This record gives sequence, C-alpha cells and structure tokens, in this order.
Amino acid sequence: MKPSSLRVRAVSAADLAPCNGGLRSLLPADTDAALPTPESGEQWLLVERLGVDGGRPLACLRLRAGIGLQAPRHWYHVGCVVHAAKPLRLFHRQSTLLLGSDHAGASELADLCWARAGLSLAEQAAALHLLLRGALLQLAEQRAAHGSTLIIELPGQRDSEGRSPFWQGLGRHFYAGDVVGDTAGLVARHGRDWRALVAVLLPRQPVYASFLPTATQAAIGQVDASAELLLDLLASEGLAYDHHIGIIDGGPVFSACIDRLPAINAAQR
Amino acid sequence: MSDRNPLCRYLLRPALPADLAALERLAHASAIGISSLPSNRAALQDKLERSAHAFASEDDDATGEEIYLFVLEDLARGGAIIGTSGIEASPGFHDRFYSYRNEFIVQVSPELGTRNRIHTLHLCHDLTGVSLLTGFHIDPAYAKGLAPQLLSRARLLFIAQCAERFSDRIASENPGPADDMGGCPFWDAVGRRFFDMDYPSAEALTSGRNKAYIAELMPQSPIYVPLLDEPAQWALGQLHAVGELPFSILLDEGFEADTYINIYDGGPTVEGRLQTLKSVRRARRRPSQAGALQAGARWQLVSNGRRRDFRAVLLPADTAATLTLDEASAAALALRIGEPVLAAALDWAAPAGDEEAA
Repeated sequence: MKPSSLRVRAVSAADLAPCNGGLRSLLPADTDAALPTPESGEQWLLVERLGVDGGRPLACLRLRAGIGLQAPRHWYHVGCVVHAAKPLRLFHRQSTLLLGSDHAGASELADLCWARAGLSLAEQAAALHLLLRGALLQLAEQRAAHGSTLIIELPGQRDSEGRSPFWQGLGRHFYAGDVVGDTAGLVARHGRDWRALVAVLLPRQPVYASFLPTATQAAIGQVDASAELLLDLLASEGLAYDHHIGIIDGGPVFSACIDRLPAINAAQR
Repeated sequence: MSDRNPLCRYLLRPALPADLAALERLAHASAIGISSLPSNRAALQDKLERSAHAFASEDDDATGEEIYLFVLEDLARGGAIIGTSGIEASPGFHDRFYSYRNEFIVQVSPELGTRNRIHTLHLCHDLTGVSLLTGFHIDPAYAKGLAPQLLSRARLLFIAQCAERFSDRIASENPGPADDMGGCPFWDAVGRRFFDMDYPSAEALTSGRNKAYIAELMPQSPIYVPLLDEPAQWALGQLHAVGELPFSILLDEGFEADTYINIYDGGPTVEGRLQTLKSVRRARRRPSQAGALQAGARWQLVSNGRRRDFRAVLLPADTAATLTLDEASAAALALRIGEPVLAAALDWAAPAGDEEAA
C-alpha cells in the first residue's frame, strides 16, 4: 500500500449513516459518534484508503480547542521531591502525583482510534501519520482559534485481564466503580465528562508514589502495548511526554508548544 | 526498714547520679523502641546530671530544656529501685516536635452516588513546646499493684506545683506495635520507604540526634491511609503490649488519645490540658497532723510540695481538712508533721487489713 492511496478529510454526515458501517465499526462503544457543531470549533478528521475497498476509514481523531474550560479536565502531574541528609548518607528521589487541571485551555488530539484488522504495523503507522499531519495542518490554518499548547492523552497500561494496575493501586481506593471495564456504562449514565465526576473523589494532596504498589508505580506514564505504535509517531512530529498522566489509567500525556511544532512552522511559511 | 508501715510502701523521688546502676538495669530490661532511657552508661549519666540540675535550678534559670527523672523505691525492700519515669519540660524547645494528626476528609459526588470518608495523617508541629511525660518503666513484679499509679500520676502533681516551668498542655508518647525482630508495621509501611532500614536501625542511626532529623526526611504532604497496607492501617493508634499499663493510667487521668500518633511507630500520643487531668483537679493543699494511717480509707497521692527535694507517696487518708501522717510516712516525705502537703485522692480504698491492695 502506498501512502498516496490514503486520504485525510473531515468526517461528514454520510460517514455516520446507519448503512455505512465503516466509520462506526471503527469507534469504540464509549466514543462520541456525533458530528461536531460548527460553533464548537472542533474538527473531526478521518483517514481513508482509496481504491480496492472503496474508501475504507482507517483512523480518526478529533481536534479540540480550549479543553477543560467548559467542563473541568484533570490530570496528575508527576513531580519529584528529593529527601537528602548528608550526615546520614541518605539521598532519596521520590515521585509525587498531584491532581490538577494544568492543561486547561490547551488544544487536544482526542478520541484517536484506528483499524488494526488486516493492516500491518507499517500500514497502521502510515494512516496515523497522515491523520496526525492532517490535524496539524488544520491547526496551522486556524492558528488563532487555538492556545499555546497541544496535548494528547495516551491509553495507560492494562494487565493480561484488561485491568489497569494504576487504577487498582490508587483510584480504586477512592471510587469503587468500574472505570476501566465499564466506560461505556459511565458515558451512558453520566455523559462524556464522567472523568471529572471521578476526579472529585480522588486525592487532592500530593501522593508519594512510593506508597503505591510496585505494579502501580511501574504503570505511571506507561502507554498500553496496544498503542505503543504512537510513541515514535508523536515524537517524530515533536510531541513529548510532559510529566502529566491520565487520572484513570496513568497513561502518559504527550504535549508540545504549538508554535514549535515543525509541521506548524512548515505550513506557516 | 522492716518497721515501715505497709500502708505507705512506695516512694517517688528525683533520680540521683548514684541511681545509675539501678537505671541501667531498668533500661536493659526494656523492649526495642520503647525506651527513652539511653542504654549506654555515659548517655545515662549525662541524663541523670541534667535531671539533677533541673530539680536544683532556680526558676529564673529554667529555660524549658529541663528534663526531670524520677525513681520509685520499694520501702519494704530497703528502698530498692523498682521503676522510673520522667518529664521533659518543653520537647522540641529549640526544634520542632513532630506528630501525625488524624484528619478525615469527606469527598462527595452526588452524581456518582458516592461519599468517601478518607482517613489522612498530617505531619504537624502541634505538640512543639508541650510538656511531655516520658520513660515509664516498672519492674514487672510490681506492675499489678499500686506502684505504677504513684510512678505515673505523681508527675502531674509535680507539674501542678511547679506550673511556671511547664506548658499547660501535657502529652505522652505511647509505643506502637512492634515485634522483637525489629518489625514495626507502621514504620515498615511509612518510614521505611524513605530510609531503607528497619526501625531499630533508624533509631540507632539517629541516636544522640534530635528525632526531628528523621522527620524532616519524611513526606511532608498528608498520607492517605487507604493507600497503606493492611497491617499498617491496623497498627495506627494501636499500642505495643508493654505500653498498655501506662496508657491506661493516662486515659484514666483524662488524656485524649484520638488526635495524634507517633510518626515512627504509629502509637497513640495522648494529650490533655493540665487543669482537666484527674489528679490535678483533685489535688488539695492540706496541713498535716500526727496519727495512725487509716486502713480502709481512700488512697491519697501525697507530695511534699517541694521541687528540689520532691517526694511523693501513696497512703490512705480521709478527706478531712487536715491529712493524717504517721512518723514513717512523714519521714518518707521528708516532712515535719504539721507542714502542709499536696494530696489527690485515687479511686480505690486501701484494704482494711495489712496486705496491699491487689
């Protein structure tokens, strides 16, 4: 498959028609399947393969501006404290987690999903790369509508039974609901902003990571194996882990200063 | 001493440098993590000298750094030393005195139908400058009798009669659960994560230094108790078996045990206002008169009201305006009959017979 056989474009109402299963089959059950309203400023983009199977959608994402300003968004900031006592020959570096809304007002690449079936990793990467480039071009075109930062939250580590070691060791003690296995139910009951409801129950003071189980500590900022493909792609476009993680599964947040992204600079020249 | 009246058998007095050997014996008999008596001779000697200086110092010279060590004699055994206890005037006087304060945070999500009451531990300096009852040790053979009552409670009379030297808030640390192998559930879940060593090693490492030194290396933000392992959660505010006797006496005095815990072993640190404590509330200054001790009357905690030459005993007496002393108890108190005493009633009556109350 040559990259030239791929096309990025905005999702249209036709893509969501019930008879047209392509895009819907791509979306996980808990993902928003509504077209963005014009006033939301949101872009919903997809990458499709032209030719043999007549425009099969391979990947999609939403580009949002000003996140966390209407409904609050939360992340843990992964900080560091040093406890040192020279006379005792003690020097300890400790990670801390501090709940906050540091990225309020940022732009976000959200609801990223892509097809895996029948596609090699290289084909998946090509589709994702094009999608990412398409989103960055949109961002460059509407630069004034966005703030200074672009982020993307990556899915956190799951164990072999689909549980999140991060949630098991931390969040579970503060909220008993199944936030990892039953996200569709949470969306159905509480809407797309259900994570903000959970955040209200989470610790507000810094949590020393060393109080957490080993598996939980190891999951801090670890991307799930199913999404490792994204790490190199995001890095090559100039996004990097910025010491924030998701509050549910501890997945890493990658971010960048928009005006320093090579793709933005190239588009603006 | 066989002519001693069995109704006035125990005497509490300031420890003297000559008591070194007896205190060494008591220090070695105490369990890991419990002792506030140094086990090496030079440190113990130093402590005895500081204490002697504190008892003898003029009020104008008192700085708040004083420590007061007491010893308990069994007069029926020729004044053998069977226990010791102490007071620190203002712990953390030049530094901070660290405790964890129990707090509860309630977080509510009406939307999720959830209400959490989360127990947290806040590192605090609340008890800095509060006077501390310390180092309660008693020969196990005497643990069941009246001796521990005198050993613990007479300190409160001493503080009440020298009130200007002490805070009006009194606290006392009580040992948390630990085993003979150095395992300590609270330390293992909290301190150990910051020190990579067991509790006895951490204690040894900081011996001679202020314990605040360790505290400064502990996490400064609140500890969320639900994140601790179960043995540590269970150990919070629990007592080591050796602490049960002194703890029960302090609770009976009216000390409150729910607010503060020790930052190392999780044991309860009790705290109370001096004027609200039972023995202080009951203390009355009474003139003395000669007579036989009254078997069957209420036990009275009696002190001679002095600082430098402090003496306290237990003896049975009625609640008349004048307290009756026999020659032997007056001698034990180093008083001439007729001089006033400070007396506070205990809750128990002396037996009508000659044998000591069990």
